[in-house]
Parts: sequence; C-alpha cells; structure tokens
Amino acid sequence: MLALVRPDSWNLPLFLHILGATLTFGATATVALLGFAGLRGDPDRALWLRGLTFWIGFGVLVPAFIMMRGAALWIVDKEYPGGHHEPGWVGVGFIVTEPGALLVIVMVILAWLARSPKSRGAVAVPWLASILLVGLAVAWFAMSAKPGS
Amino acid sequence: MSLYQWLLFFHVTGAFFLIGGIVIAGILNLAAIVKNRRPSEVAALYGLIRFAVPLIGAGLGLTLVIGLWLVHNVGYGYGQTWIVTAIVLWVLASALGNVDGKYQRQTGELARRLAAEGDSPSPELWARLRNPRALAISYASGLMAFAVLGIMIWKPGV
Repeated sequence: MLALVRPDSWNLPLFLHILGATLTFGATATVALLGFAGLRGDPDRALWLRGLTFWIGFGVLVPAFIMMRGAALWIVDKEYPGGHHEPGWVGVGFIVTEPGALLVIVMVILAWLARSPKSRGAVAVPWLASILLVGLAVAWFAMSAKPGS
Repeated sequence: MSLYQWLLFFHVTGAFFLIGGIVIAGILNLAAIVKNRRPSEVAALYGLIRFAVPLIGAGLGLTLVIGLWLVHNVGYGYGQTWIVTAIVLWVLASALGNVDGKYQRQTGELARRLAAEGDSPSPELWARLRNPRALAISYASGLMAFAVLGIMIWKPGV
C-alpha cells in the first residue's frame, strides 16, 4: 500500500522509471519483430529490415533502457537511502537489468554486424530480444506486485 | 499475495501492453514515413503493426477493468477528479486509436496493392502516410495514453 502514501518528490522518478520501462518493452518487442522478419524472404528486404533493427535498437531501445535504469537508481536512492533495508523485489529489478544491460549491448552489436549480408549474427538478435522480454516481464511482476512485502 | 497486489500487477501489465503496443505501432509507423519508401517496404512495416493490435486491445481492457476494480478495492471514490480525468482520456484515446487503426489498415491495403502492381513509389501512398490530420489523430491518441500514465502516478487532487 506504499503507493497510496508516496511522497510527492518520488513521483517524477517513478514516472520516468515506468515510462522508460514501457518504452523498453515496446522497443524490445519491435526489435524482436523486425529481427524475425529480417531472417526470411527476399535477401535485399531482409538486409533492409536488419538495418532497421539496428537503428531501432540503438536509437530507441538503448535510451529507453538508460531512462528506466537511471530513474530506478534515482527512486531507490530516495526510498531506501544508502541501500538500507531494500526489500527483495527491488533486488529482482537489479538482477534483471544488470544482465539485461549486457544483453542490450550484445544485441545492438550483433544487429550492427547483421547489416552485412555475410553476417550470421542476425539469427541471434530476435532471440536475445525475446529473452529480454521475458526478463522484463519478471521485473514488472516484482515491481508491481511486490511479493513478500 | 493480497488481492490488491494481484490487481496492481494485472493493472500494470495492462499499462505495459497498452503503451508497449503503442510504441511498437508508433516506431513502425515512423519508420514507414521518414523516407519515401517503396510500397512493398511500407506493406512490410504495416504488416508487422498487426502484432501490436492485440497487445493494445488487451492493454485497454486490463487497464480499465482492473483499474475500476482497484478503485473499489482501495476505497477511492469513482467521482474523484483524477479517476474521472483518466477515464475520459482513456475513452478519447480509444476512440481516436480506433479511427487511426481503420485509416492505417486502409493504408496497408493500398501499399500491398501497389506493391503487387509494380512496386513503384506512389504519390497517393505518400500523401496518405503523411496526412497531417491522420498523424495528429494518431499522435494525440498515443499522447493521451501517456497522460493517463502520468495521472496514475501523480493522482492530482488526492
């Protein structure tokens, strides 16, 4: 019931965190969709779709992920100054987003390499995006339901 | 977990589906209009937008139904300003989104037809993609959904 008595100063970081998270979800799903579409059909079309996958990963997913994670640190710092008495559901967010950041970096690099017709990395991009989507779903369950609190 | 925790989870899930779906459709739509693309390319992008439609539909349903249930569960009044404002924006966003969806479906069909008829750039398709009125409806619908998210956080008047 914490949300019901939240101080006003927490609202902006919480809004930016949720906005970043929803943008990350949408951008990751778009990368997955374009990535799978870029694995089949006419080679020229596939290459064009892989190029779009890279630009959306780099231009939308990366900033959205940074917004989500940066705002998360901001609100955790306000809610649990010095990291004292952080409940388990906060830890789930970090457990998901730390490897998630690595996943995003690898995905964007592979998407950049996949712009070449000789690259085999294109196959991995939509699958990595799908794994990230599952991780994000776990995090939003922990963040919204706050099990154990 | 309590009923409140489950309701909040499904309500937030609805918000993720709704805004995530809007983001998917928005990105693909933007990718189609930033350059004068061949009809087959526009058709490919619009073909992918169809995956966002069930997400948006599920998101609209979950946010409203579970949101109203949450109002009852928490003990807010249905007449509170922030709740009424959020519902009005939700209705407007849904109505504009419906108009936009029909327009985009027709644009996708035109792109597919032009792709089958030679796939050369078409002024008609370009005009439809860049129609200022259609773009205004589309972006207004999306912005209203983001505004509802803001209202849920700030709860003005509480």
